This record gives sequence, structure tokens and C-alpha cells, in this order.
Amino acid sequence: MLEEVLRVIGMVLLSIGLFAIVVSAIGFHRFKNFYLRLHALTVGTIWGCIFPLFGMALVAVTLDDLGVYRWFIAGASVVTAVIVLMLAPAGSHAIARAVHRAKVARVQPCLADLLDSELCEGDKHG
Amino acid sequence: MIETIMWILMVVSVIVYTVSAVLFSVVVFRGPTVGDQVLAIDAITYVTLVLIVLFSILFKEPILMVVAIPLALWVYALDIYVSKYLEKGDLGA
Repeated sequence: MLEEVLRVIGMVLLSIGLFAIVVSAIGFHRFKNFYLRLHALTVGTIWGCIFPLFGMALVAVTLDDLGVYRWFIAGASVVTAVIVLMLAPAGSHAIARAVHRAKVARVQPCLADLLDSELCEGDKHG
Repeated sequence: MIETIMWILMVVSVIVYTVSAVLFSVVVFRGPTVGDQVLAIDAITYVTLVLIVLFSILFKEPILMVVAIPLALWVYALDIYVSKYLEKGDLGA
């Protein structure tokens, strides 16, 4: 009974990840500039990576033919998910801040950029 | 019943994640700015983490999981190095 419950929860989490990673991959091609693509990346990080990792940890616990190594797979999945949960937002924040300060990517189409008005010049109202 | 659905879902997941990795790698080669390329490499690494877990369950090879944690740490180091290079102009000490 417990085995089925764990497997169903794991499959639901994996299905959420499947949907999210497809949305993220399409968003990378549809969005117009760097700052919008950040949104697509974070969908793929939290929903597309961390949720399936937790789900696969739950599924791996139920697989008896792996022996004691099923605890190894489950534990490593959980540790990886927690590491990604802590480091991925910090990393994407750092890269966004650096790109904006170094004026690498323009905000386009731009209505207002209160941090640095140079990036928005000559491109009012898209 | 549930077990059959589970294995089918895992194989479908491997295919879908591989296709999205290919879509992300198009951005790595084409992407307009260096920021987009770094974001796409981030996304490819997160896809690879999930693929490693799926393969280690499908192939019954627990030793594959060993590479997952250093991979997650490496991509954070890439973010920090690139952002420091863009802001300051060198990597510094």
C-alpha cells in the first residue's frame, strides 16, 4: 500500500517536471530578451528539476531489486535537489545583476529602466 | 499496473528531457548575448541532473548518482565566474 502511494506521488512530481521543462524550452525561444528568458529558466529549475528529483527519490525507495543502493539513490537525489534549491536562485540573481551592470543585454522593448536609463534610450514604447 | 505505467513514464521522460536539452543547446550556440548562453548552460545542467537520476534507476546503476552533486556545484561556479568577469573585467583572486 505504502509502495503504491510513494510511486504515484513520484510519478505526479515527474509529470509536473515534464510539463515544466517543455514550457521552459519553448520559452527560451519565444521570449525576446535576456531578462524575460530568466523567467523561463526559473520555471525549468524549480518545477523541472527539483520536483522530479524529489519524485525520483520517492520512487527509488520502493525499488526492491536495487538492494541497499536504493537508499543511496534516494539520498543523493534529495541532496542534489536541496543543493539546486539553494544555489540556482543565487546563481541566476548574480548573472542577471552582472549582465545589467555590464550593459551586455538591452531591455527591449523598453518602457522604463529606472536603474540605468542608458539601456532604454531611443526605444520608448517598444 | 502502476509499475508498468511508471517504467513507461520514465522512458517518456528520458525522451522529453533529451529533446528539451537539444532545444536549450540551440540557444547556447545562437543566443544573442553571453548572458543567454550562460542561462542555457544552466538549464542543460539541470536537465542532465534529472537524466542522471532517471538513467541510474532505469539501468540499475547507482554509481551514476556520484556525478550529480559535483555537477550541481559546478554550474553555480560557472554563474559566479561569468558574473564576476562581466562586472569587474577579470576573475581576480
